[in-house]
Amino acid sequence: MTLFHFVNCALLTFGPHVVYYSATPLSEYDTMGTSIKAAVVYLLTALIKLVCLATFLKVPENEGFDPYQEVMKVLIGLVDVAGLYFALTQLTHRNISQNHKFQAVGLGWAFADSVLHRLAPLWIGARGLEFTWEYIFQGLEANANLVMTLSLAALGSLMWLRKNKPRTLVPIIYACAFLLATMPSITSYLRKALEWQTREVVGFEIFSSLVMAFFSWQLFSACQRPL
Amino acid sequence: MAAPATTEAFSNLSYSMFSLLLILFACVELGDAASAVHVYRLIQYDLGGVPLGSRISHLNHHATSLPLDPNADLSRSALLVPLLDLDLDLSFLTDYITRKKPLGGLLILLPQKLGNKFADFGKHVDLTRLKTVLHQLEDLLVHAELPYPVYFAYESSTFDTLLGDIRGKNFSSQPATSTNGGYKLVVSTPEAKKLSPPTISNFQGWLPGQKDGDSEQLPTIAIVASYDTFGAAPALSVGSDSNGSGVAALLEIARLFSRLYSNPKTRGKYNLLFGLTSGGPYNYNGTQKWLRSFDQRVREGIDYAICLNSVGSWENDLWMHVSKPPENVYIKEIYDGFSEVAQDMGFSINVKHKKINISNPRVAWEHEQFSRFRVTALTLSGLSAAPEFLQSTGNLHDTRKSADEKAVARTVKLVAESLARQIYGHKGKKIDIFADGSSLAVNVHHIRSWLDLLSRTPRVAPFLSKNNPFIAALKKELSDHTVEVHVQNEVLDGAFTFYDSTEATLNIYQVAGVTFDFLFLMVLGSYLIVLFSFLVITTRGLDDLINIFRRPAVRKSKSA
Repeated sequence: MTLFHFVNCALLTFGPHVVYYSATPLSEYDTMGTSIKAAVVYLLTALIKLVCLATFLKVPENEGFDPYQEVMKVLIGLVDVAGLYFALTQLTHRNISQNHKFQAVGLGWAFADSVLHRLAPLWIGARGLEFTWEYIFQGLEANANLVMTLSLAALGSLMWLRKNKPRTLVPIIYACAFLLATMPSITSYLRKALEWQTREVVGFEIFSSLVMAFFSWQLFSACQRPL
Repeated sequence: MAAPATTEAFSNLSYSMFSLLLILFACVELGDAASAVHVYRLIQYDLGGVPLGSRISHLNHHATSLPLDPNADLSRSALLVPLLDLDLDLSFLTDYITRKKPLGGLLILLPQKLGNKFADFGKHVDLTRLKTVLHQLEDLLVHAELPYPVYFAYESSTFDTLLGDIRGKNFSSQPATSTNGGYKLVVSTPEAKKLSPPTISNFQGWLPGQKDGDSEQLPTIAIVASYDTFGAAPALSVGSDSNGSGVAALLEIARLFSRLYSNPKTRGKYNLLFGLTSGGPYNYNGTQKWLRSFDQRVREGIDYAICLNSVGSWENDLWMHVSKPPENVYIKEIYDGFSEVAQDMGFSINVKHKKINISNPRVAWEHEQFSRFRVTALTLSGLSAAPEFLQSTGNLHDTRKSADEKAVARTVKLVAESLARQIYGHKGKKIDIFADGSSLAVNVHHIRSWLDLLSRTPRVAPFLSKNNPFIAALKKELSDHTVEVHVQNEVLDGAFTFYDSTEATLNIYQVAGVTFDFLFLMVLGSYLIVLFSFLVITTRGLDDLINIFRRPAVRKSKSA
């Protein structure tokens, strides 16, 4: 019976990625290769981040929020952004439009993130007899993460792939991108310093991901207009 | 006509949505993780081929509790019963057991005051009322065949919250099942196996008296106590009063006389024999074997034997149980000796005569085994009536608090003083050999430390192997004070067969129920479908969405 729960949570965590791929024109243009390459880049980025974290961070003595450590984590989080940059610009993609490129990269990135961070806890934990809401929250988080990664990929493609952008929008683009990149630090700040409960943090993540997605969409379409 | 129909439809829809949400939230609340609790199993044994006790050790059922509908089907539920509520509900349980109704499992919660660790904490409990309820419950459980697992556990905050939740759900008059969710109690132990016939170890130690030079044998006085127990929960059967108090008293008497006998000038003209026997609850089978192992001359040399049983819980009256009539010369002599000392100490000692019936295998007191070998013997006890078979042998309520070291000390003084007056020929004199404050004073700390050790050691014979450190401790203590310490290992006679598995870990899980999983799946499915449609509409347009469902039809028309 609890295998049932595992299947449910797995569907919640990984389902949207599959749905996104099949629903949008991505499946028609066969961008699977791009997504896989993006996933591999994510893996490498994750490894580099791990090494940096192990080198620069010390083990926290108390559970509280340490500003210095969090700043270090933000800086290491920017490695993520570098990885995305690499995936968007340096990899040779077949002729797919910019529109689809960022979606494919974002999707691959988010899928690798979900698998790496959420599959193992799900397999080990959700199959037990004891019921907790934890894995359902994790699935919702995965959904929010997908949206945020897509927005970040969109802004990234705007920043690095599009040459002519309206002057006024540039700082906004960079601001939104920075906000998205530092989102993990913001959530950990909420969890540790303000001591929000898991469901409040997940609610915040979903809300903020929708808001940021809306902003990115607006910015993206604003930059489309001159062309 | 249309308007009322739509409002009716709308109200129906909203009602069904509301009930759906209610079921979803009723199935599970924001739960915390599983808990693990130490539990103790009811004894499982066969007596003369008749299976008794709890026959199953594995438990995996939903938890439920009283008050319950009398017709509820509990064959797939584990009943959780706190003892403090039981005095009102014992009839329910008795009914269930005597009518052999099916039950998934039974978990009885004992108040913390009975435990050793938290005996000073825990809710205030009326111990006398508890004692009666416990006696009834134990009698019921030990003499019935229960084809389901029965466990005992101590109350704790985990169980308090668990009971609160279950009782709240009971108001919807539905015991928790696998569709509703609730709590699941799981004890995963392998099935209990038969144990090989238990070994009983009898200890004896001598304090030889001072021979005058001629080779005549000195008379012997024996002091005996049985040290093993039997109770409903073997892992909790510590028997502080029955018979831990007897053991502690015997060891203290041995210590006092070893001081006297270590100096040849104060060695008396009697041999003292100390015996710690096992097999007490089983009609004193160990005592019988021990006596049988004696050389007949040695046995005939025993003037009389004093057996100690449950001497830790009396206040003003001590009982002397005999099987020879009190008018018998020897009995009268011994009784006079005791009552003299008792009078000086300020309490009374009463004689109770119980005839032995040779054809009846039931042996209620240890002295009866001596009497069957024609040795004069008596039992000193705080109990006034002979206990029934398997009663007062280390029950659940018989923990440290039921044995008072001061009562044991008084018993020690009584026995030691009377023995010393007889041995040294000071009968009738006003003399206080073991005076308080002297070097021969009764050491209450020694008694207390032995009572503490005994209250921490469950001593049910089949589960007490001869390599147990407690056995070694007894042997060492006896060797410290006596000589010629001998351990006799025998196999318990009789029709008892025991099974193992006396302790286990109970896991309590909060489960969600299949209904919840199905509902969640439906919600998830609809979410994914909505997401799919949304994405198709926004990226490809509404026509594409419709085309997905019409594609086969379109192809057919094209080919046609």
